[in-house]
Amino acid sequence: MTGQPMNPITLEPGTEFRTRPRAMTRERMRWYVDAQPTIAADDGRVHTQPPTIHDDDEYARSQGLPGIIADGMISTNWIQGLLVDVFGAQFACRSRLQTKYIAPIYEDQIVTACARVATATRNENGASVYTLEVWCEDDTSKKLTVGSAMVELPV
Amino acid sequence: MATGGVVTDLDVGDVLGPVEFTLSPFVVREYSHAVEMHHECFQSANELFMPPTLIHLDKLRLYNHACPGGTGPTARIHYEYDAEVLAPVRPGDRLSVSGEVKERYTKKGREYVLIEMQLKRVSDGELLVRYFDRVILAYKTRDEQAA
Repeated sequence: MTGQPMNPITLEPGTEFRTRPRAMTRERMRWYVDAQPTIAADDGRVHTQPPTIHDDDEYARSQGLPGIIADGMISTNWIQGLLVDVFGAQFACRSRLQTKYIAPIYEDQIVTACARVATATRNENGASVYTLEVWCEDDTSKKLTVGSAMVELPV
Repeated sequence: MATGGVVTDLDVGDVLGPVEFTLSPFVVREYSHAVEMHHECFQSANELFMPPTLIHLDKLRLYNHACPGGTGPTARIHYEYDAEVLAPVRPGDRLSVSGEVKERYTKKGREYVLIEMQLKRVSDGELLVRYFDRVILAYKTRDEQAA
């Protein structure tokens, strides 16, 4: 993906987008865990942190969980990635994304990020403004993460 | 004021930060790579933008600043993310992040905390990103923790 929009001006309410299904593997969960101290250090090297509920089964069970679960921000980022596929870099310039994690995502659960255009309008400046329903679902269509998004595309 | 301790002690009215930092290209690319956003605007050698979701790690920056004792006795569960980008953020920008605990309440035996955060450009004070973050302080309910 280049971050260039596909042709968002033609989008109609009801238009739906989906990522490919992805398994929420142990590695995907750990990538996000490792990213946190790595980014905090910001020294170009990989850093790790103490066990979390996202990468250590024993610690997760000590917290009352059946095993590791995915950090909610992974599903939010998969939704965001889909929105950047559709709207390009403008999503990083003027947008809003709201997500709520309504069900845990367990190891190897299949996850697809989805978005559906709710409204397409123009604001007082002539910019196109899209609102969308967004969600992640598993391979039984059970919703795991739900929310909404807005993106403003300048003239 | 519950700052200066652990994250699970934070309470309504607690102010986190401000903390200043300069956004680096490494941080943009590394974060985007970790969540498989391979778009040029997040991964290229130049012309990068901050992924809006990166604001979430600024919360950890604030936690580290305000709560040197760490997480506390229980692991947080992230419940809700709500970020609005008002203007783009680019690597090289000198930024200031601040937060305030707006709510702390119990629902169905679990404690929730809502933090409002603002990310501003230091040079002119422009508000770039507004973020609301809601967490559950422990997966186990109070009764389960007491048992």
